[in-house]
Amino acid sequence: MRWRDPVVVCLIFAAGVVPAASGEAGVSVRDAWIRETPPGMTMMAGYMEMRNNTSRPQVLVGASSSGFESVMIHRTLVKDGMAGMVHASRIELAPNASLIFAPGGYHLMLMNAKRTLHAGDPVVINLEFRGGLVLPVAFAVRK
Amino acid sequence: MNKKSLKFSIMITTVALAAMLAGAWLAEIYRQHDSRAMLLPDRVMTLFPDPKPLTAFALTDDKHRTFDLARLKGKWSFLFFGFTHCPDVCPTTLAVLARTRDNIAKNTVGAEAIQFVFISVDPYRDTASKLRQYVNYFDATFVGVTGDDAQIGNLAGQLGATYQVARTPGMENYPVYHTTAVFLVDPRARYHAVFPPPHDAAAISKRFKVVRELEGGNAT
Repeated sequence: MRWRDPVVVCLIFAAGVVPAASGEAGVSVRDAWIRETPPGMTMMAGYMEMRNNTSRPQVLVGASSSGFESVMIHRTLVKDGMAGMVHASRIELAPNASLIFAPGGYHLMLMNAKRTLHAGDPVVINLEFRGGLVLPVAFAVRK
Repeated sequence: MNKKSLKFSIMITTVALAAMLAGAWLAEIYRQHDSRAMLLPDRVMTLFPDPKPLTAFALTDDKHRTFDLARLKGKWSFLFFGFTHCPDVCPTTLAVLARTRDNIAKNTVGAEAIQFVFISVDPYRDTASKLRQYVNYFDATFVGVTGDDAQIGNLAGQLGATYQVARTPGMENYPVYHTTAVFLVDPRARYHAVFPPPHDAAAISKRFKVVRELEGGNAT
């Protein structure tokens, strides 16, 4: 897989981010998207593929966005035959490994969007890593 | 005919005979066990050899009309339990079901005799108008229903679905847990099959086509 995907670079530029930020963090993100929801719904979910390009672990400790009241790292888990969500306070990315946030698994839970989001809208979400690094990622709203 | 080609002919004949015998044997199993036996087990769908008739229940749909056993008769119904504040599983599943409906409508004769029902287990937040707006986004034909805990529990229990609403006073975003399988009820209001997650529209519509062909006029 090409982690230096032009799409990722474009997304980072689109977000107005200094490209060096992703290099310093050593973490790259691709295919970042938010599922469009019915009008009036307060909960949305964001998905992405996150890759640690360094030889040491990277720890995602939080996320925030000016587009939402709050952003939390969640994971859908099935227990006793029922699906529920658990809050993940931190996620460790192993060296040179990737982690996929996908429907039915890890996702960013996005609460109370400040404006109605439609397919095609870009939203920047800041991923916060241990050590103080913040990686702004442009998520695209998709159907 | 040289030795090599004779050997080859014998081999081909043996393979053909084995295939014929296997075919005859499968046909016999198929005849003995009813064709539905051939579909079990399956990762996409579990089809019940003896569909269980559902008994009376009463819920309310997104247009404030009663949604009861009679509303399941004469149609194939896909049922899914969830809640509108669900950011991950519910929209994912409903989007798959919308594609499933499109597939069925395109490929199966009599596609009008199907319905998709979203049963909210969170009646405190999911009012009729909210449900209408929610299901309509995915597909205009989808029906949203809900009821009180006993009413939801009645139908859920009959289908083996479970849910838990961990509502605490003053807490806006309380957690809700629910079964994520999609249930198939036949036109005689019998619990006919279940689609466990993960769901795939192409796979579900294909299975449904087979189920429908197997049932033929039986179920309707």
